[in-house]
Amino acid sequence: MSEPLAGAGGQQRTGAQDGNAAAEALGVAVAARVPVLLWGAPGTGKTSAIRAMATAMGLPCETVIASIREPSDFAGLPVVTGNAVRFAPPLWAIRLAEAGTGVLFLDELSTAPPAVQAALLRVVLERTVGDLTLPSDVAVVAAANPPEQAADGWDLSAPLANRLCHLSWETSPRSIADGLAGGWAAPQVPLLAPDWLAAEQLHKALVAAFLQVRPALAIAPPSSAAEAGRGWPSPRTWEMAARLLTAADAARASGQARSALVRGAVGDGAGVEFLAWLVEMDLPDPEEVLANPASFRLPERGDRAYAALASIAAAVAAEPTPRRWTAGWQVLGACAAAVPDIAATAARVLARCRPDGTPLPPEITLFAPLLRDAGLLAP
Amino acid sequence: MTGERAEHGVPGAPGGPGGLDGLPAARLWAAARFPYLASGLFGVQVTAVSGTGGVSVDAGWRLYADPAVAAGWTPAELGGVLVHHVWHLLRQHSERALAAGITAADATAWIRAADAEINDDLIPAGLELPGDPVLPRDFGALDGKLAEEYYALLRQARRAAGSQPTPWQDCGSGADGMPRVFDAPGGLDPWLADLLVRQVAQDILRHANGIGTVPAGLLRWAREVLAPTVDWRRLLAAELRRAVADIAGVVDYSYMRPSRRAAAVSGIVLPALRRPVPELAVVCDTSGSMTEDLLAMALAEVEGLLRALGLARRLRVLACDAAAAPAQRISSARQVELTGGGGTNMSAGIAAAYGLRPRPALAVVLTDGYTPWPAAAPKGMRVVVGLLGDNAPDAPGWARSVRVTQSA
Repeated sequence: MSEPLAGAGGQQRTGAQDGNAAAEALGVAVAARVPVLLWGAPGTGKTSAIRAMATAMGLPCETVIASIREPSDFAGLPVVTGNAVRFAPPLWAIRLAEAGTGVLFLDELSTAPPAVQAALLRVVLERTVGDLTLPSDVAVVAAANPPEQAADGWDLSAPLANRLCHLSWETSPRSIADGLAGGWAAPQVPLLAPDWLAAEQLHKALVAAFLQVRPALAIAPPSSAAEAGRGWPSPRTWEMAARLLTAADAARASGQARSALVRGAVGDGAGVEFLAWLVEMDLPDPEEVLANPASFRLPERGDRAYAALASIAAAVAAEPTPRRWTAGWQVLGACAAAVPDIAATAARVLARCRPDGTPLPPEITLFAPLLRDAGLLAP
Repeated sequence: MTGERAEHGVPGAPGGPGGLDGLPAARLWAAARFPYLASGLFGVQVTAVSGTGGVSVDAGWRLYADPAVAAGWTPAELGGVLVHHVWHLLRQHSERALAAGITAADATAWIRAADAEINDDLIPAGLELPGDPVLPRDFGALDGKLAEEYYALLRQARRAAGSQPTPWQDCGSGADGMPRVFDAPGGLDPWLADLLVRQVAQDILRHANGIGTVPAGLLRWAREVLAPTVDWRRLLAAELRRAVADIAGVVDYSYMRPSRRAAAVSGIVLPALRRPVPELAVVCDTSGSMTEDLLAMALAEVEGLLRALGLARRLRVLACDAAAAPAQRISSARQVELTGGGGTNMSAGIAAAYGLRPRPALAVVLTDGYTPWPAAAPKGMRVVVGLLGDNAPDAPGWARSVRVTQSA
């Protein structure tokens, strides 16, 4: 299962600032054509970043400020033609449809009145404006100020929030200084291979496996109005998360950006649990290791090494047969040189569950001096 | 500058790195003494840097130790220092220092405050630290407070004394957010650090529910990490905005006024959209069991929110104990006259709000919860309940409720 976690291998990437991660995540979401919403304080350059991104991609960008529009601007204006009523799309939609591609930028989404938010539902997810369906290559990007920071702001309605991947747009003082001195860098939209969606089934299977372990997280509508305006887990957002992970892998995105995308789609709580589960999946299966101790490869990071060795020791303690107990010592003995303290911590668990009559393994002597130094063994 | 360095925490580095011979025994001691911290202890990557004169951490979960200093400590002392520094990372002191606006001049005082926040839980639990570790009582403070609170006290004391306090140790950029010359680039990604912190919090809860005991302060920390308490002001604001938005969202079509789109389609009369402006009422519980200051806080918050929504003029306040007093139309929370005392019956207050003309579309009820409630929601009027006090009983299921407490 190492392939879906390829991005997590980027854990040692340097200088992954939060602001850069949000820009990177924005690029991945746009490349995957998943509707994305940037949350940020007024004046932090959300609008200019999105316009610069569209220019860098060479795509037309249509900016629509939702708060000064009426519902009929998104649902289409009724026009009588003969015996029928057509819902005429506004000019910005026609321009996008003629270009065949482009960026639809919905600015000030959170100050749009509730009736306009309702009219936006179909635009955001199905790209339908009046009688016109925008080409599927049109990327939908939105920006909003948190309601606490905009005097006339509304929380997003839960159905609209559920159709978007939410990213927090935070700017560090450092990036502002850089931007003033050298111009604002446009978020990079990665070029995905034409067949990038082929790997989506794999990520869907991962999400499905996770939801079997945690069925409560499959659909969890927000309980309070404060949570309703952000991402929350539902079948739609889990599918969105799988697609975003596929795109992030295809674009070789950093772990920080992957984390922002998953949490943005399904919400912080469910997103963190899913990420933790993915990292956990990367650990060796203790039963397989006990069946074949020589196959064990020590994870690189100290806390992962501890998790792996502790899970093996716990598996032995749960069912201490002489064969499993001896196999456990073989694994620990092989790790004693590289990570003596981690192996010794697991060895203390093993030492307490010795099956009756099992001879002491030779590996036990490797840990005695260290345990004595730490004052954990009578001299 | 920095001396030679050697890394540990990667396979193939037997013993301790670059002269840190006592490290494995120290970490083993720490993991045995504080088993619920093992993930955090082994998650730190240790580097030997000679000439720093102590042990410090950075926000990327790297620990820089001076071998010459560490050699003078017992395994228990070095292990204690490791545990102490892991808590700087778990409690995210560098991020909080940035949020508190700590500059290089204040860094020493901040580190003392952060040290006090850590040590007040760990030293009573048997942690042995070398030297003279900082405790809250050193500067006349109580245990169990936040570093931000200790820092405010220390700053006052420093202004009075006019001198810099001496630090216990330079705990590094992981404690105060100021970069050090020996900090290596890179480090653990913030999202992985986040997962690691949650892992430790889960281990602490599991340990406390199972065989072991955990200091109360650490348990509180773990609960807060896994289920953060949200400020009631935010919750109340969101509930009120949502209620007002839902009412205002009941947009209907009207032929009273022509649509501004009518010019586009000659010969057809289009209806205009009309939006109701909600009428509001606040019902205040004024019975003997209420706490005045909480009620004033909640009422001021409601008033501020409605003002932000442009609805403050429409506010009517009813004081209610066993029966409701007549409504007062007010323009400031201070004008509310709380007439009442004795028994409580919010049913009467809600019924009185319902009887007002024009009928309010939203009633905000501020109560301590010790009251009978109507069996069902009033028809055509939304109710948001602010439950004041830590021990208030639940509000009925048909109302949206927010708990208002002094602490958060």
